[in-house]
Amino acid sequence: MSRMRDRSITRLAGPWLLTLALSLATAGRADEGWGLPELMRELAAVPRAQASFVERRYLQILKQPLELTGTLSYVAPGRLIKHTLTPRPERMTVEGDRLLIEDLAKGRSRTLSLQDYPLVWAFIESFRATLQGDLGALERFYRPQLEGARAGWKLSLEPRERRMAAVVSAIRISGSADRISQIEIEETRGDRSVLTVIEESR
Amino acid sequence: MSRVGWLPVALWIVLLAAAALVILRAPIGADLSAFLPRAPTPAQQVLVDQLREGAVSRLMLVAIEGAPPERLAQLSTALAEKLAPLPAFAYVNNGAADLLERDGAFLLRNRYLLSPGVAPERFSTAGLSQALAEAEGVLGSPLGMMAGELLPRDPTGELLRLVDELQPEHGPRKREGVWFSADGTRALLLVQTVAQGFDIDAQQTAVAQVRSAFAAVAQEQSVPAARLVLTGPGVFAVSTRAAIRGDAERLAAWATVGVALLLLLVYRSARVLLLGLLPVASGAAAGVAAVALAYGSVQGITLGFGVTLIGEAVDYAIYLFTHTAPGRPPARALERIWPTLRLGAATSVCGFGAMLWSGFPGLAQLGLFSIAGLIAALLVTRFVLPRLAPQDFFARAPQRLAHGALWLASLAPRLRVPVVVLVVAALAWLGLRSGPVWDDQLSSLSPVPAADQALDAALRSDLGAPDVRYLAVVQGESREATLEGAERTGVALGNLVAAGALAGFDSPARYLPSEATQRARKQALPAAEQLRASLDQALAGSAFRPGVFDAFLADVAAAREAPLLDRAALQGTGLGLRVDSLVVEHGAHWYALLPLRGVADAGAIGLAVTNAGGVMLDLKRDADALYHEYRARAAVFAGIGAAAIALLLLLALRDPVRLWEALAPLAAAQVLTWTLLLALGERLTLFHLVAMLLVAGVGSNYSLFFEHETLRRGDVRNTLVSVLLCAASTVLAFGLLATARAPVLSAIGTTVALGASLSLLFSAVFSRGLVSER
Repeated sequence: MSRMRDRSITRLAGPWLLTLALSLATAGRADEGWGLPELMRELAAVPRAQASFVERRYLQILKQPLELTGTLSYVAPGRLIKHTLTPRPERMTVEGDRLLIEDLAKGRSRTLSLQDYPLVWAFIESFRATLQGDLGALERFYRPQLEGARAGWKLSLEPRERRMAAVVSAIRISGSADRISQIEIEETRGDRSVLTVIEESR
Repeated sequence: MSRVGWLPVALWIVLLAAAALVILRAPIGADLSAFLPRAPTPAQQVLVDQLREGAVSRLMLVAIEGAPPERLAQLSTALAEKLAPLPAFAYVNNGAADLLERDGAFLLRNRYLLSPGVAPERFSTAGLSQALAEAEGVLGSPLGMMAGELLPRDPTGELLRLVDELQPEHGPRKREGVWFSADGTRALLLVQTVAQGFDIDAQQTAVAQVRSAFAAVAQEQSVPAARLVLTGPGVFAVSTRAAIRGDAERLAAWATVGVALLLLLVYRSARVLLLGLLPVASGAAAGVAAVALAYGSVQGITLGFGVTLIGEAVDYAIYLFTHTAPGRPPARALERIWPTLRLGAATSVCGFGAMLWSGFPGLAQLGLFSIAGLIAALLVTRFVLPRLAPQDFFARAPQRLAHGALWLASLAPRLRVPVVVLVVAALAWLGLRSGPVWDDQLSSLSPVPAADQALDAALRSDLGAPDVRYLAVVQGESREATLEGAERTGVALGNLVAAGALAGFDSPARYLPSEATQRARKQALPAAEQLRASLDQALAGSAFRPGVFDAFLADVAAAREAPLLDRAALQGTGLGLRVDSLVVEHGAHWYALLPLRGVADAGAIGLAVTNAGGVMLDLKRDADALYHEYRARAAVFAGIGAAAIALLLLLALRDPVRLWEALAPLAAAQVLTWTLLLALGERLTLFHLVAMLLVAGVGSNYSLFFEHETLRRGDVRNTLVSVLLCAASTVLAFGLLATARAPVLSAIGTTVALGASLSLLFSAVFSRGLVSER
């Protein structure tokens, strides 16, 4: 049952985290010899990023999808903030091993250690690893597979760990060059969420 | 004459046999709490008992260190898997499975009996509408705990509420999915044995099983550098028993050999040696038997202390031997020396008296042991030795030794001025000294070495089990009544948490609510049709699809039929474990313990707890107060003992001037002993205090022998030799004791060895008798 708690956290945390791997536009280079290591290197070169997002959660128990909006920010090497504005103001900050969750409506906050929540950690660390261009860390949790070209790519992550795999069947991150445009998370139970990055600034 | 004369010998043999019988049947204890003060209030007694016998005493803290974190984590998991199925262990946890994983199914099934959120309004249309609105919000939150298959079963969030309530906020840190110390160098496990903490044999087996299981996994995973660290009450009991047993055997062997060598060297006669050891052996037997009869068992520490008896009891025989001569067999010699011997024994007994009345069960045992032993040794010397020694027996001390002793003694008075100067300087230093004299840590009295105590404290804080200082205690006539009381006190404490006077608290009623509370929660659950109607109304205005919450309806219907929980229902869960450690049966009463965390306003909390029918304890304050009380009490008894010794001397000497001559050297020796101990950096404890009285008891013998009237009546040479030998055996025995590992033994050993040497020296220095002899 802690799995449930973990799962819900991760499933909510995952999309936006990956979204953060956004942006990072540098000028296009030739596609030849382009692959996962090159993508990682390019993502790693981005020192900071800002974006807004729209996230839609397609949950079987709801009459219609749940829509969330807010902002995302990333500062290298490992600080991520997801600030949800609607429907309920809430802010998540990840830095190092610490995860701070602030319920802005109720004025409550909670700090977690990622080590204590392996599933959350799997989501966050993989995403952070993507942003940091740390392929080794990414592969610790996922089997990554890259399709497409530099101008339009899709990175599929298949969870390695048993408990994670029981919850998430796949994470798909798409983008172009060093920008991430969308993160899609597909759950084993059939629920799904899609986070779209709608604008950005650096 | 002959028939009557042999009567004591026959009696002695019978008594020895009886003592042997008693001793053979007496178990040897290693109860750590015997050397901690007895608790003054019933509530505290409950705590002490809980420490000794309760769930807490069965905890073993296990740490693995000496390898990189991932290797430590693997070892931790492998060790936990190896230990869990063993019948010796009731509970093994390395953090890999948290509360929900272990007890999740149980909590889910019984959430409507356990959750404090269950109330009738929660299941009305309004309550359900609110719950669904909350759930929608949570679905959008990063901490959307309600998501997944749980939400349809539990839209009111009882399980999550329970988990928040039961999960410790500051649990151990985790790395690689298992518990780790804060600095990441140790993987941690918590193990609970099936056997009680005081069952040392069973604890020893359990410790050995953990060690061998660890050795096996370390080898399987080829991590030879990894080390296992174990602490906990049972572990300490095992190691303390081993250490004390080792000490007792070692010290006894060395003391026997030392005293035997001394006798052999001086008298060069096997017969003298055997006769000299008779009172010692008889005294030891009497001492152990007396303790066994009075206490039911004999502490290992008492046996270790027994070595001092070897040094003390042999004195009577030595004193007797030195006064024999050709034509003056022991029986005749005794006629001359019996008053002095009797007086010496009486002052020694007074010296041990302070221990007997100190209030420490362990210390009282030492006192009883010594007093019984000395009296037995004295009686054997008086009534048995003269019978067993041949009629023409006399022991001859070498003339050279007597000459040497006389020469040394003649030099002693020259030290008068330097000694007086030294004592005055010492008094001045003591008066001007600003540092603390007493060690105020109760833990300094514990036989567990300080390093082990520190390690245990470190592991405890890493495991998030901080030492409890503040506790609310609720008493009741039954478990049920006690749980109800705990609930009332819990309400009061909850208000204080809200008011900020308190950060939090734990209560057994969280894990096992009283039957009344459970029944009320059950009655709060509406009937199926009513609940369905309310839910349908609530759903109409929500984002959820109809039919999503059918599982919820089924669960509530089942909960209405489910039986109430009792202790037996919690068997095998972490909840059962918590209840056992927080609810204690003691005599005819039950007690609930509610540990308090983050106490900001102890006064307000104490008042609120009292009003709710409980008692608040501040264990540290109470323990410190208790310790001071015991020290004050020991000081009073030491004073009474000293006065008794002075009175005995006055009765024997019948002259204030002579009394002063006997006491002055003792006082000087006391002053210098205190000074030396403090100057050596020793922090003084209760044990030093009682040892000082012992010094007075032993030292008064020396000053008595040197007192000039005694010297004039006796044979100076023989007296000198006997005093020297007595002092040598005493210093030898107590000096050996100073090397023991238990603080009680080493403190007494150091103090008495030092004090006795100084008493002898000063007695010689200030003796008028020696001057006039010269």
